[in-house]
Amino acid sequence: MPGIIDRLSKRLKAYRTPGYYKKYDYHWTMVVDLDKCNGCAACVVACHAENNLPTVGKDECGKSRAFNWIRIERYVEGEYPDVKVKFIPIMCQHCDKARCELGCPVYATYHNQDGLNVQVYNRCVGTYTCATYCPYDVRRFNWFTYKWDEPLDQQLNPDVSVREMGVMEKCTFCIQRIRVAKDKAKDEEREIKDGDVQPACVQSCPTGAMVFGDLNDPNSSVSKLAKSRRTYRLLEKYNTEPSVIYLKRVMDGSSKGHEERHHV
Amino acid sequence: MKKVPIYIIVAVITFAIGYNVNARYFSNRRPVQPIAFSHKIHAGDNDIPCLYCHIYANKSRVAGVPSVQRCMGCHKVIKTDSPKIQKLTHYWESGEPIPWIKVHNLPDHVYFTHKRHVKAGVECQSCHGDVEEMDVIARVASLKMGWCLRCHMNEEVKNGKDCWTCHK
Repeated sequence: MPGIIDRLSKRLKAYRTPGYYKKYDYHWTMVVDLDKCNGCAACVVACHAENNLPTVGKDECGKSRAFNWIRIERYVEGEYPDVKVKFIPIMCQHCDKARCELGCPVYATYHNQDGLNVQVYNRCVGTYTCATYCPYDVRRFNWFTYKWDEPLDQQLNPDVSVREMGVMEKCTFCIQRIRVAKDKAKDEEREIKDGDVQPACVQSCPTGAMVFGDLNDPNSSVSKLAKSRRTYRLLEKYNTEPSVIYLKRVMDGSSKGHEERHHV
Repeated sequence: MKKVPIYIIVAVITFAIGYNVNARYFSNRRPVQPIAFSHKIHAGDNDIPCLYCHIYANKSRVAGVPSVQRCMGCHKVIKTDSPKIQKLTHYWESGEPIPWIKVHNLPDHVYFTHKRHVKAGVECQSCHGDVEEMDVIARVASLKMGWCLRCHMNEEVKNGKDCWTCHK
């Protein structure tokens, strides 16, 4: 019996070691062009609708129980007539070397073969460790079992489970849509093409600031955008290797990019 | 040898009888359906393929409970004097669906698709049992995660061990 436990724990330890996969099947990546982002928050709304997120209201937000998988952060420079505003949408960065995965005591969050950092709701016991480990503050905790009022429960997405109290959750890169695309690709006996998968935020973005695709494919639009000279990733000094790539906003007269001043 | 106390024997026998009665008549494995439909007559004796009635099994996530129209396609002419068929005709004439009771029910957090399994060449019988020999449809598999993993732990199932392949 101890032999089995030893073997199992060794395997699980190998599994949670950062960089466990030599090469992902797909490396899902999002590129956010901040030059195009105007902070309209359509992505936030789309995410709420797609992923069955509750709207908790002003009071709960004041108690730092805000509920959103993607948020828009604002950076305002200067006084009124001469003001410069920058926006940055922040969702789960799906780090290749994710901190949250190291913290979870029950292996509820792990890296899968597609380079996604995924959360297993049924396994989660709600220790909040992953949220404290996350440098981007993107994990959200179900403090209550949220209810939807009478007509609104009809709009819940059947492809996404409704989470209960005591469960941690976060952006999944709309894994249910990736699953549908994989299913379709398998029927047609091919790999997923560029543009087959669009998360809800990418689909709703009116300016096309967000692009989603496979970084393993050298011809995909994200791979082309990732070669840009404006690329940076959030809190690179922590060496988490995020899968979300931002393209710097270049503004005339702005001393620094907000990325250097980005603190969480 | 020590004697086994009589109350333990009584308890064991009572438990065994109770368990069997419960499993046979009260469990959700073998519910009493609104029409006593026999898969044995249809799929067994008359060799109707599964996909003739469960038409979506190779195209969709759900296999599909056949519509009353599909039943009436044959039963307008076949065995119309039987009381069971007259019950069916009543549903047909009143324009109501038959309130079949679901036997194979998966929880909401499971993503299961019939299409992928049928296209991978999994026989219907390997999960649903020998339906063509059942007079009353019954669930033979536990449909628990460990039962799914008997196949999914094999290397042939691509990404079969990943949680998000089946959970949502």
